[in-house]
Amino acid sequence: MMTLWNETEQIELHLLGQYDTGNALVFEARMLIDPELGDRVLWQKKTYGIIQTYSRRQLKKEIEAVHQKLFTQTEHVSFSQKIRRLFTDQ
Amino acid sequence: MTSLSETREEFFISLYKKAFPAVAKYVSRMGGSFDEAKDVFQDALVVYYEKAVAAKPANDIAWLVGIAKHLWLRRHRGESQNIPLDNIELSIDEEETPSENRLMHFLETAGKKCMELLRGFYYDQLPLTEIAEQFGYSGVRSATVQKYKCLEKVRETIKEKALTYDDFME
Repeated sequence: MMTLWNETEQIELHLLGQYDTGNALVFEARMLIDPELGDRVLWQKKTYGIIQTYSRRQLKKEIEAVHQKLFTQTEHVSFSQKIRRLFTDQ
Repeated sequence: MTSLSETREEFFISLYKKAFPAVAKYVSRMGGSFDEAKDVFQDALVVYYEKAVAAKPANDIAWLVGIAKHLWLRRHRGESQNIPLDNIELSIDEEETPSENRLMHFLETAGKKCMELLRGFYYDQLPLTEIAEQFGYSGVRSATVQKYKCLEKVRETIKEKALTYDDFME
């Protein structure tokens, strides 16, 4: 008997095209006879997109925090002044 | 043990110090503002990070500066004069719908632990041993099992939320 997380793993193999031909055919046949499996495949595909969006948002926040650090903390003052001068001498 | 976010912070500070002066100088010379220089550089850092995860480019600082210049030109000349740069996918400024924002907010709060684990696997593409260590799992196997459990949990959350947000995705 298959556990649920095991099915999630199988959906991943299917979506990433990592199954060999035989197993790929078996999986596709299962999707045909089980519409709910097809539904889970669809939502899992969306989930990878959401993970990408989420991760990018977090990364952007981290980069912004680095920017704030560099342009407000005194230990980086010579760096920030060097940059700011480029825009005030225009 | 240094945390993942600390490692990334050091990485970005170093890239900022090495590459931002050249980008700022360029944007300034082209008549742009400090905020514009900041925007294109931060977008370039995202592109750089996503590419460097797969394969670290040679002469990476010049490459990063090149991406930022490219983004600045694209922004000011419009799509019609788009200059290809190693076929880099630069679609990083896409707008999110209100329902996507609500979902993100939900995942950032209630689903944070799972999302960070999934981010480590799929976005940061960290080695399994490092993921196990950083997230406190006994080994690679239990980290992998947890990944699939999280993936399933998030998938069900997204499905459930989608049914309550009427403008959710297509």
